[in-house]
Amino acid sequence: MNRFKIQKFSNRLFLYGAALLLALQASFPFFWMASTSFKPPSEVFAQPPSFIPHQVTWDNFKRLFTSTHFLIYFRNSILVSGCTVLLTMMVSAIGAYSLTRYQYPGREKIAGLILCTYMFAPIMIVIPFFILAKKIGIENTHFALVLAFTSFCLPFTLWLMRAFFKTIPIQLEEAALVDGADRIRAVIHVVLPLALPGIIATSIFTFILAWNDYIFTRILITSDELKTLPVGVQDLFHSALIDWGLIMSAGMMITIPALLFFVTIQRYLIRGWGAGAVKG
Amino acid sequence: MKEISVQKFELASIRVLNSISNSIKRRGLDSLTKGIRREHLIGYVTILPAFALILGLILYPVAYSIWLSLLEKHSFFPQERFVGLENYFYLWKDPEFWSSLKLGVIYSGWTILFQIILGVAAALILNETFIGRGLVRAIVLFPYMVPTIVAVILWKWLLNDTYGVVNYWLLALGVVKDPICWLGADHIMLSLIIMSIWQFFPFVLLSILARLQTIPPELYEAAKVDGASAIRRFIHITLPQIRGILFVVILLRSIWMFTKFDTVWLMGEGAGAGRFIRTLPVYAYMRTLTYYQAGLGAALAVIMFAILVVCTILYFGLFREEADIG
Repeated sequence: MNRFKIQKFSNRLFLYGAALLLALQASFPFFWMASTSFKPPSEVFAQPPSFIPHQVTWDNFKRLFTSTHFLIYFRNSILVSGCTVLLTMMVSAIGAYSLTRYQYPGREKIAGLILCTYMFAPIMIVIPFFILAKKIGIENTHFALVLAFTSFCLPFTLWLMRAFFKTIPIQLEEAALVDGADRIRAVIHVVLPLALPGIIATSIFTFILAWNDYIFTRILITSDELKTLPVGVQDLFHSALIDWGLIMSAGMMITIPALLFFVTIQRYLIRGWGAGAVKG
Repeated sequence: MKEISVQKFELASIRVLNSISNSIKRRGLDSLTKGIRREHLIGYVTILPAFALILGLILYPVAYSIWLSLLEKHSFFPQERFVGLENYFYLWKDPEFWSSLKLGVIYSGWTILFQIILGVAAALILNETFIGRGLVRAIVLFPYMVPTIVAVILWKWLLNDTYGVVNYWLLALGVVKDPICWLGADHIMLSLIIMSIWQFFPFVLLSILARLQTIPPELYEAAKVDGASAIRRFIHITLPQIRGILFVVILLRSIWMFTKFDTVWLMGEGAGAGRFIRTLPVYAYMRTLTYYQAGLGAALAVIMFAILVVCTILYFGLFREEADIG
């Protein structure tokens, strides 16, 4: 009996130790970024490094907002990601409704084709996309960027929305129709409220994908005033002396919105249906 | 105006649908088939925007890149010249291409292997019940959700040779005598692999965890009564259950690691020590935007695509059983 207890105790110990290790490996780099972003330059390069800044300063953030184009990049990121979400969600909600509510020949083939394109990596699309964008004269515009992000997000949003609409019983709509509502009304008053959590979660996934993108922006955008955050921040590295305090404060400013969105969707993620949701 | 007529059309067609059951009784089969045809039409109209965007923004560019790979084309100027398979012949004799292929295989091979091992192990741990489980699950997933640029600056700072905290610890603990130049030619591939595993194993974790949660606990209870050890329980109960999802996850991760561009590029930018992590996607990018040879860049993308298609077919052939489950 006693041996059994010791065995059980050491199992628990191992479990908690492993869980702690997992949490630490994921969070320490972010903690280190936060710590560095509040340090004055002398402390950033101090040896031995201090984990909690001795002297907390907002100077890095101040310089980030005044001496770089960070705010312009930030605005561009919000604008482009927002437009991508609108376009992608409209198209994929209508498309997913079609794939779950109407019967027509070739429906499953179309769904399969869409899933296949989920596997295409950006690098395979972006080179021809760039040349084609130049040919029709939309390179270096946010419009091209929104189209590119949409191409990247659409297969998976459509797939997710389809999974969501499948969980909404069709009988509810039928009941509304029998009660004399037309299809549009039935969709607005019956389907949409039920699908809302799924629509919100899918929108956030889309937003994160667009917010995180590097490759399409790097290739399609050349003017500084049109750049989004990831590309703009990478350019901070190209100065002669790397200003780590400044870069870490920029990292903080990109991570915070991502963190906020992540907190709102993480329960969907863990519940499981979103397992394949984010590409990359 | 248009919207209203669409609405009216939809409205009318729904009424038809609605009365299908009645019309069978009243007017026979003719109006039933009419109703079904209208349903087909609405179905096609509503899927059309999505289908058109995927066709125009994914399938057409990919098809166009095959044509582009047969051209000699400057990336910024409009001139182009048809050269047939010359780009492919050039790459066949190009040592840079072979080295990028080799580096790409090394990079994706190691990162996939460790992502799977770590991802499955972590999923097993986070599937147990313990205090704070929800929080740990959320924290562990976070690195996968941040922009790659953030992951890269974090790791470049951690691994900085003079001021980095990793070197500080290694020196303080006496593991090494001199600071390691993590981002120099000798170690940059190792650093990149470690960073990529850190960034991407949560995807494996998440997918496996989702599947683990659906395994009925009765399966384990029976085995426990029989006195099966934890390892035996994993091999005989868990593994057969997660085989299907593991098949899909390995496939997706392999495709995405082999074509991974942003992490690799941001880590080395192709030049200096970055030459030692110049994988195939980075090389394709550089041909297009450093040397302005769009034709060669497209040829590299096509080769990458062809390799993936062949490997995917082989993979499905080798693991036919798992493919059926997955």
